[in-house]
Amino acid sequence: MIRRLGLVAGRELLAERRQPDGLVAAVTFIALLVLLESLVVGPVSARQPAVAGALFWIALAFAAILAATRSFDRELEDDALDAIIALPGGRDALFAGKVLALTAVLAIVGAVGGVLSLVLLDLEVALAGHLLLVTALGVLALPTVVVLDVVLALRLRARAALVPILALPVLIPQLVAATQGSASALSGDATGSLGWSALLLAFAFVYAVLGFTIVPAAIE
Amino acid sequence: MDVGATLRGVTAILDDRVVLREVDLSVGPGLCLLRGPNGAGKTTVLRAIAGLIPLAAGSREIHGDLLALGHRPQLLRGLSAIENLTFLQRFRGVRDAPAVGPALAAWGLGVDLARPVEALSAGQRRRVALARLDTEPCAVTLLDEPFAELDDSAARMLRQAIDRTLEAGRSLLVATHGHPELDLRASAVMRIENGRVVA
Repeated sequence: MIRRLGLVAGRELLAERRQPDGLVAAVTFIALLVLLESLVVGPVSARQPAVAGALFWIALAFAAILAATRSFDRELEDDALDAIIALPGGRDALFAGKVLALTAVLAIVGAVGGVLSLVLLDLEVALAGHLLLVTALGVLALPTVVVLDVVLALRLRARAALVPILALPVLIPQLVAATQGSASALSGDATGSLGWSALLLAFAFVYAVLGFTIVPAAIE
Repeated sequence: MDVGATLRGVTAILDDRVVLREVDLSVGPGLCLLRGPNGAGKTTVLRAIAGLIPLAAGSREIHGDLLALGHRPQLLRGLSAIENLTFLQRFRGVRDAPAVGPALAAWGLGVDLARPVEALSAGQRRRVALARLDTEPCAVTLLDEPFAELDDSAARMLRQAIDRTLEAGRSLLVATHGHPELDLRASAVMRIENGRVVA
């Protein structure tokens, strides 16, 4: 399983490196959204830790949906998906590999978006280590839900519209935890940021288990 | 009897439409042909055997490993032919796997192998897909309209590949509405109409 997961993730990242449509779209999207939101909300409001955190995580959630949808669009061209799911263990490996690859892509998108947020909003970070931890766990918690929802809408014509509708309500707990955790880290509340981090870790675990349970049947 | 693949009483429903009706079908060693007009359900039978569609009723049984080649090449864009086939070979964990490069060369694809597959013509992509017959030799092989998009030279290579598969004692199910010459080599010819195997 681990070997197959690694093969799928490696294939995914190689394809993304050759044709970085998803990564470029996600980075552009998050940069524009952070810039736009900071202008719309205004510099004073946007600098508040909770607002800055919310802006970043909402943008990252949409970027994750964009990148995951693009990744599966590539699989559907020429029925490349069928080649994997017809193989023994293909469905589980596909889900886990896609989650792993999307996590790597989101780490890059999150780093770019995070630096942009810090610079554009001129944020002061009280607990940099805690902020890194919350960001890492938030990035870990997003892909399982997003990939799961893309798989659920895979064969539907209106999947571009349906994926956000399916994913965003489910993502609300993760977005709240990530936003509150980031706000705690920015404002110097170590206990708060660690508590929200633990919650993010639990979300990542629960949705990974759900994904492995649902995805094999959902792909069929 | 231990045969390559079996469908027993299979009914399949897609988009609220019954696409297969109580299909019983056995694929034994040798060449089995599945014939029928366009839209009769040939592709759906192959997808049911491969486990690519849910069954509303009935069961499927596969003895040994299975290779299912659809009428589209199943190659991931962005990767080269070698990368695509090497990935599938490794994923399957083929022991003593035949080398991918020479297999592609044998299918007339010795050049441009580093290019991503979307830069190849439809016929070339089809050849790459069919090279999986050599790089992933399996007990049961399903081919859906394998002669589509092939020129004379590639069609000759495919016939040779079919011969190699049969000489190795494997099971091969080919869905096609043409190529009557295959009937002479087939151990069974089945016909499907309106989602039901009629002969």
